[in-house]
Amino acid sequence: MNTPFSLDEHRRQPRPTLAPPPDRYFEQLPMRVMQRVTAAPTTVPAWGWLAALSVPLRTALASVLVLGGFAASFLVSSPNGSVLPAPGAATLAQIPREELVEYLLATDQRVTLTDLAELPGTASNAPAGTYLQTSPDELQDLLDQQPTANEYL
Amino acid sequence: MEDQEILTKFRDPASRNVAFNQLVRKYQRKVYWHVRKMVINHDDADDLTQDVFIKVWNHLENFRQDASLYTWIYRIATNECLSLLKSKRRKFLLPLTDLTAELTANLEADESLAGDEIELKLQKAILRLPDKQRLVFNLRYYDEMPYEQMAEVTGTSVGALKASYHHAAKKIEAMINAD
Repeated sequence: MNTPFSLDEHRRQPRPTLAPPPDRYFEQLPMRVMQRVTAAPTTVPAWGWLAALSVPLRTALASVLVLGGFAASFLVSSPNGSVLPAPGAATLAQIPREELVEYLLATDQRVTLTDLAELPGTASNAPAGTYLQTSPDELQDLLDQQPTANEYL
Repeated sequence: MEDQEILTKFRDPASRNVAFNQLVRKYQRKVYWHVRKMVINHDDADDLTQDVFIKVWNHLENFRQDASLYTWIYRIATNECLSLLKSKRRKFLLPLTDLTAELTANLEADESLAGDEIELKLQKAILRLPDKQRLVFNLRYYDEMPYEQMAEVTGTSVGALKASYHHAAKKIEAMINAD
C-alpha cells in the first residue's frame, strides 16, 4: 500500500523544477530593460488627452460631436428654418404678365388665348363638372364643329 | 548596493541610470522566478519581468518607502502576473480549466520535470489552484516568505493568508492522493 502524499514530508525544492532561462539571460536582461526605459520619450499628440478618458466617456463625446455636426449643417443650410422657394418659380414671378403673354403669342408655342383664359371660381383640382355649365347636346355640337384629324395630314 | 543607496542615487539624474541598472541586477532573478512560477512559460515570464521593471522605473521616484523596496517590487510583479492571467482568460474566453490545461501543457513540455513523477504531480496540482491561492502557496512554500511580508505584497490580512495556505496545501495533497 502506497504512503499518502504529505507536503510536510516532501523534499522541498527552492523553486519549481522548471527549465532554466536561456544562457546569459540574466546578464542581458538589465541591458534590455535599460534600453527600454531610456528610449526617447514618445511625443504626446495634441489629442493625447482623449486616451486618458474612459471608453464610455469617449463614446458619449463622439456621439455629441456627430449630432452637433448634423445640427450645425442643418442650421447653416436653412437660415431662419424656412424652406427657400425654387429658383425657377422666383424668376418667373418677377416677369410682368404682359411680357409673358406677348412672348407666348409671338413664338410658336401652340398656346392659344383659350389656354390663357382664366376661369373664375375654379380651383386647380376642382372637377370639370363644377364649372362647365353645358348640356351633352351642346358639347356634341361643339365637337362636331372641330376639324377632323385627317385635315392635319 | 543597499536599497537606500539605490534610491538616493536614482533621485539624482546624473546617477539615475547606474542606480537603476544595479536595482535590476539585484532583483531580476527573484522577479523572474516569481512570475515564472505563475505563468510557467519562459517567454511570458520574460515579458512580465521587463514590464515589472519598466513600472518600477516609472514610479520609483514617487516610492514613499512605506514598505521595503523588495516588497514593493514583489507587489508590482504579483499584480502584473494576476493581470496577465486575467486578461488571458478574458481574451480567449477560456474558462478556468482551459487556462489550467494550457499551463499544464507548458509544464509537461518542460524537460526539467521529465522523470520526476511526484514533482510533476505536485506542479500539476498547484496549477489547479485558483490564481490567488496559487500565488499565496508559491510565496509561502517556495519563497518561504514570512506571512507579514506576504500581507504587504498581496494586500491581504495575515489570518486570511494562513487560512488560504492551509486550504491550498490540503487541496494539493488530496489531488495527488486521488490520482
